[in-house]
Amino acid sequence: MNVLRVSKWTIAAFVLPCLILYVGLVFVPILVSVYSGLLDWNGIGTSKFVGLDNFKTLLFDDPVFWPSVRRTLMFAVFSMAEIPVALFVAMLLSRFVKKPNFLVSAYFMPVILSVVIIGQLWKTIYNPAAMGGMLNQVLDQIGLSSWTHSWLTDPSVAMYSLYFVALWQYLGYHTLIQFTGIQNIPADVYEAAKIDGAEGLKADWYITFPMNIPIFKISIVLAFIGSLQAFDMVMVMTGGGPAHATDVISTHMYNMSFLSMKYGYGSAIATFLVALCLIATVVINFVFNRLERKYT
Amino acid sequence: MSQSIPAAVVKPVVQTGKRKFSVAKIIVFIFFGVLLVTQLYPLLWLLIYSLKSNEEILSGSFFSLPSKWQWVNYSDAIESGNYYKYLGNSVFVTLTVMVLVLLLASLVSFAISRFRWKYGQAVLVLFLIGMMIPMQATLLPLMIMFKHMHILNTRWAMILPYVAFQTPIAVFIMSGFMKTIPHELEESAVVDGAGILRIFWNVILPISVPPMMTVCILTFINIWNEYILAATFISKESLKTLPFGVYSFVSQYSVNYGAIGAFLVLGALPVIIVYFLLADKITKGMVAGAVKG
Repeated sequence: MNVLRVSKWTIAAFVLPCLILYVGLVFVPILVSVYSGLLDWNGIGTSKFVGLDNFKTLLFDDPVFWPSVRRTLMFAVFSMAEIPVALFVAMLLSRFVKKPNFLVSAYFMPVILSVVIIGQLWKTIYNPAAMGGMLNQVLDQIGLSSWTHSWLTDPSVAMYSLYFVALWQYLGYHTLIQFTGIQNIPADVYEAAKIDGAEGLKADWYITFPMNIPIFKISIVLAFIGSLQAFDMVMVMTGGGPAHATDVISTHMYNMSFLSMKYGYGSAIATFLVALCLIATVVINFVFNRLERKYT
Repeated sequence: MSQSIPAAVVKPVVQTGKRKFSVAKIIVFIFFGVLLVTQLYPLLWLLIYSLKSNEEILSGSFFSLPSKWQWVNYSDAIESGNYYKYLGNSVFVTLTVMVLVLLLASLVSFAISRFRWKYGQAVLVLFLIGMMIPMQATLLPLMIMFKHMHILNTRWAMILPYVAFQTPIAVFIMSGFMKTIPHELEESAVVDGAGILRIFWNVILPISVPPMMTVCILTFINIWNEYILAATFISKESLKTLPFGVYSFVSQYSVNYGAIGAFLVLGALPVIIVYFLLADKITKGMVAGAVKG
């Protein structure tokens, strides 16, 4: 129980500066966004209240919207599929390496770099061989010239090139999280299991997996929410192009708001995105809480 | 005699076990090596690339070292790219945000975790919701707000939203920590006649250094690397932060490949240096941020 009894003014002095800034710059914009979603407005002239028209157009008449939702969800699926791999790497690390810190830190390195650096680096790697792109040069030299692509400008592969960069950047992050989770499983649990005859894979199956479920959940939530918000990297690398082939929800919103100057319409997409993030968080937490209760 | 028999029986078993183990070990280490190359080689490649001349880059020999190290790429990048200006801006913005986040979030966390009042939990929940809100959804309304406040294209247009979006995780981490501090501490401080501010400043804050470190690290990584908000609210060359600066340099000098590579290396360098110095702290901080988020 908290003990300090203080006057209202003291509480206000401690809480309000931060709260006002936070509510003013996070919540108010979201509410403004929800309201502007109901307007036909280009940001300069007068706005016209059009009710749910923007949402109607968005859901039924926008040829870019649903594909962008699909890509966003695919992004989430790929990111989540990476986590078992990360868990596997983490298990190997904790079982086979005595001093794993070097490897973990090295794998983690791409995580701390700005998307601008990562994006431009991979853009350079994906460049055509004639422009110094590493990937195509490698393919040319090992005799797989037929596999070369214009990785970011060919609509049929561009999105996969982006998924790959995201997976590459965040593998180290999830490996680190899973690794920390495994390290926190008390050693005597494994010792007790050893006496009962469970070692190696068997111990991993019966101990590491179930005891690591909460950590697994954290990675899943991060990957899922992170993918819904996937934005910067796409903006840096393709901006949603070629011909919307790599548009995700956020980039579609950004392009509508800031390039096409459809403020009302952009806000409607923003509202959709916020709602999606909130709903997804609630659903994932619900599912995992049930899983945890079942297996622990 | 009776002792040596079991020893002889046991010994080969152990050996085969060991040999099997080492084959597995070799495979696993090859796997680790491959992974290490995939994660780090692109960065190394960039470094080599940045020291090549345009002809070498375009010639297609991706594996070779530069015949003559083109340091001129770096001087080109620094001279024509305003590198130091961007670096200075990034340092200023990141440090300001860090100080403000620490100050504001620790005040709120103190109130949430130590004061006896009705709405503490409600305020915490309000902050928690903020962690799920994507920053990009606020860009448009923020831009309109800032335009009316006449702070578009000033440092405040970056600093204020950065602080606002860092506070949820900061409040969460710090209030979680402060809840665990034993209450006897401030009880005795109250008995000694210390006021609220003194309790906060001299009793609670010194103990709360570990979570503050975590907050610093998360803020540093997030704000130092932020690009979209800066690019949306800032257009003045003299205010650009490093990621934005890198981006504009790349789009401006799109055919000077070596200089672009050099600028990317320079852009990555500060974080990499900090990472070399504080790798353990950073990885721990990022996990703490993830686990608690």
